[in-house]
Amino acid sequence: MIASNGGSGKKRGGSYGSPPRRPDWMGMLRRNALLLGFTVFIMVMPAWAVPLSKPLSIPIILTMRLVGVYAIVAVGLNLLMGYAGQVSLGQGAFFGIGAYTSALLTTKVGFPVWLGIPCAILVAMLFGVLLAPVLRLKGHYLAMATLAMGIVVFVFLREMTWLTGGNDGVRNIPHLSVPFLEITSTRGEFYYVWIVAIIVLALCSRLVDSRVGRAMRALHQSEVAAEAMGVPVSAVKKRVFILSAALGGLAGGLFAHLQRFIDPNQFSILLSISLVTMVVIGGMESVWGSVFGAGLITFLPKLVEALPRWLGEVPDWLERYSNYEGMILGVIIMLTMVFMPSGITKGMVDLVRWRRSSFVNPFRRKAVD
Amino acid sequence: MDFLGNCPQYIANGLANGCIYILVAMGFNIVFNSTGIINFAQGEFCMFGGLLAYTLAASLGLPLPLAIPLALASTAIIGAAMERLLVYPLRRAGALVAIIATIGASIFFKSLGRVLWPKEAYKVPEFTAGNISLPGATVSRQFLWVFGLTILSVTAVYLFFNHTKAGKAMRACSVNRFAASLVGINVMRMSLYSFVLAAALGGLAGLINAPYASYSMGLFLGVKGFTSAVVGGLGNTFGAVTGGIVLGLLEELIPGFLTVVLGVSTGYKDAVAAILLIAVLLLRPQGILGRGVVEKV
Repeated sequence: MIASNGGSGKKRGGSYGSPPRRPDWMGMLRRNALLLGFTVFIMVMPAWAVPLSKPLSIPIILTMRLVGVYAIVAVGLNLLMGYAGQVSLGQGAFFGIGAYTSALLTTKVGFPVWLGIPCAILVAMLFGVLLAPVLRLKGHYLAMATLAMGIVVFVFLREMTWLTGGNDGVRNIPHLSVPFLEITSTRGEFYYVWIVAIIVLALCSRLVDSRVGRAMRALHQSEVAAEAMGVPVSAVKKRVFILSAALGGLAGGLFAHLQRFIDPNQFSILLSISLVTMVVIGGMESVWGSVFGAGLITFLPKLVEALPRWLGEVPDWLERYSNYEGMILGVIIMLTMVFMPSGITKGMVDLVRWRRSSFVNPFRRKAVD
Repeated sequence: MDFLGNCPQYIANGLANGCIYILVAMGFNIVFNSTGIINFAQGEFCMFGGLLAYTLAASLGLPLPLAIPLALASTAIIGAAMERLLVYPLRRAGALVAIIATIGASIFFKSLGRVLWPKEAYKVPEFTAGNISLPGATVSRQFLWVFGLTILSVTAVYLFFNHTKAGKAMRACSVNRFAASLVGINVMRMSLYSFVLAAALGGLAGLINAPYASYSMGLFLGVKGFTSAVVGGLGNTFGAVTGGIVLGLLEELIPGFLTVVLGVSTGYKDAVAAILLIAVLLLRPQGILGRGVVEKV
């Protein structure tokens, strides 16, 4: 779906018999500069991050694996929420379904991991198809319905003990693997996750500039206007929902094999809410913003955990940081919504543009209406 | 034990829980009517009500008739602060921004509650201790207070909306905020009032929801209160009453039936409200008592 739609816009001129133009390599480089730069950044990351981890007392590579996982699901949620304007407070459900599918298939049925993760995607998509009728709702109603959806999935994961093991969770989940090779080193897992994540990011950043991407943004602005312009509104919404479910399933599958132990409490409503936070803080309508949001939310606790070790002396109130994490997050969310409703990355970009031209004012802009 | 023999007990428990849901649902309705926002932090008001009552009555040793109004007043002040600091600056923002901002407030409140009251559960003192035996069921005396205070609150809210100037002004806001501002109603002040009222009602719900209160009670109470409001028709006071009672009863009877007859775990109880919410939203979005169509474009 992604590739065909991304490609269909590029076919102009081909059938009229004009001579094939030489590929514009420099233009392609320039257009994909962000993607290429980010890929290089990730590929060389272990070189500087591993020696730095010890003095900073932050396990950078270990944490970055999770950032990759959350970036995948956050990008999916951003397509749904930022681009198409459909709130989902239940994205953790698909993440959990993906994680449990792959974990159970590999531990109980004996599937190899490289087959378990595609199955996780398929099952999450199936649930996406089943739950797609909630997209008939709008605004607050949609938010509450998806929240309820997340609660239902969480309760069933907890209570279906014959299948999921209930609160005891699933243990001894095998490592990530490609055919004939099991990946056990942290660095290997880091590359595995980020190669998948970069492919997803590349596809998604192509998707949002394609015909489907424009349709998504159009229906976000006004469903009536989009429908009048020939956008099949409900079909597009449904497809984006299923795509975001698939990305949730993929991320969940990766997560299960990284953690190697899962229990239902990892997939509660709190997960869904922190995913929404990643998208919001990173920036709506911004593929790269979600990566930034995922990184910020995942590193924030590690950073403050490490802070006392840098200072040597531990102030008493910092010791129980995990208690304050929610307060800091809540304040960040509220301030972002009041002052930069389009998210921090997008707000910053607008701020820079505002310095150059007075037409763009990031503080006045309405992110969503 | 047979299911029918247990029914009176299920019904008694269901009615008592239903009363709590009614109070939370009315909070959702009042805020929704005058601002058009669904306040995702409504459940956290209940948490503040319950835990402040614990602190004032059990820790500081104030007598209950003094501690309870104080707890309600403090919760109302928290509601007012939230309105002025968060909702007022966002008065022109879209639905998505408002949803996420109130979620942010809910995360903040919950975490604040966890810092101030770190234990898993606190025992909120009951108004009068002891139990009453009815034929087929045993209820605690607290249940009578729950019934009484709920009936009192519903009546008070009804009278406020129909017989006072401020209440009528708030109803005008719910019909059309712009038109209300044209006839001289201070819409922003009504928004403040609605948050104060909703916070106080939520606080009352948390405080009579004895015997225990904890920092994590907000989310589920919030979802259940919202479900009650939607089941009865969002924005409708008597809808909230119907929805609360329907949800309270279903939540006892369905898991009771499943456990006793089919032998399934009682843990599914938590999913009843969520399933009911999805079903009502999809099948009858205007609620059981609602008239007309919510939105069709």
